[in-house]
Amino acid sequence: MIKLDPLAFIKSILSSPSGKVSIKIPSEIKYLRKASSKILSALEGRNVDEGRIFDIKLCIEEAVRNAMVHGNHFNKQKIVKIMYWIGGDTLHIEVEDEGSGFEHAAIVDPTDPTNITKNSGRGVYLIRKLMDKVEYNDKGNKVTMTKILNQRGNIVCP
Amino acid sequence: MPVKIGNRNGLTICYVEGEIDINTSPDVKKPFDKLISSKTPKIIVNLSKVTYVDSSGLATLVEILKNMRSYGGKLKLSNMSSKIKSLFEITKLEKLFDIVADEEEAISTFV
Repeated sequence: MIKLDPLAFIKSILSSPSGKVSIKIPSEIKYLRKASSKILSALEGRNVDEGRIFDIKLCIEEAVRNAMVHGNHFNKQKIVKIMYWIGGDTLHIEVEDEGSGFEHAAIVDPTDPTNITKNSGRGVYLIRKLMDKVEYNDKGNKVTMTKILNQRGNIVCP
Repeated sequence: MPVKIGNRNGLTICYVEGEIDINTSPDVKKPFDKLISSKTPKIIVNLSKVTYVDSSGLATLVEILKNMRSYGGKLKLSNMSSKIKSLFEITKLEKLFDIVADEEEAISTFV
């Protein structure tokens, strides 16, 4: 049984000179909200509307949970690595697990009438729909999500 | 408790509060399981105080609906925020569920 440092989460937040912030969390659901809260707090003062905040929170939590469940199989010794950065009016979030990767293209369409009650693939589907851009690495263990923070023409506070 | 249960016009109304997500879904589902075990025929779920739903929350509502339909029970969802309603539209769950604007509409259409 590995003993986790209760401050591991806080200590794991590292900001690089490029403005990229790295968060490393164990594969436990209780860390899910801490990860999304940390990223959302970085958006404060940027005049991002509530709808986009909702979408970003949801997609972070869906992606991190998928990493914990399907990538790391809830192995507490395995880490989910989250990296985020803001470029101009765009938020970028990477979520990476220690798994062998999955074939994201093979996920069934959860909106198909034959799948609608199966409760599988809906998280990945929501990410695709709510983010502006979603990319997976070749291995399939890292997703990069991009969300435009403000509609064109809005004034963005620095 | 995230679910308060009331009664109007002989109909069971469940008022859900807060977030329906991976953390809260088991607590949200529990009172419904009880109503389902006693084969409650008609339930209105008032979501006016629900601020957030993730895919686990959607799955929980689907499970509740499936379990009710297994004995011919009927379920209506009411008072959804526009954001949460948009999740039902995106996932096409709006076609699976009977979604109405408010409690009054739910009661008047529950024949």
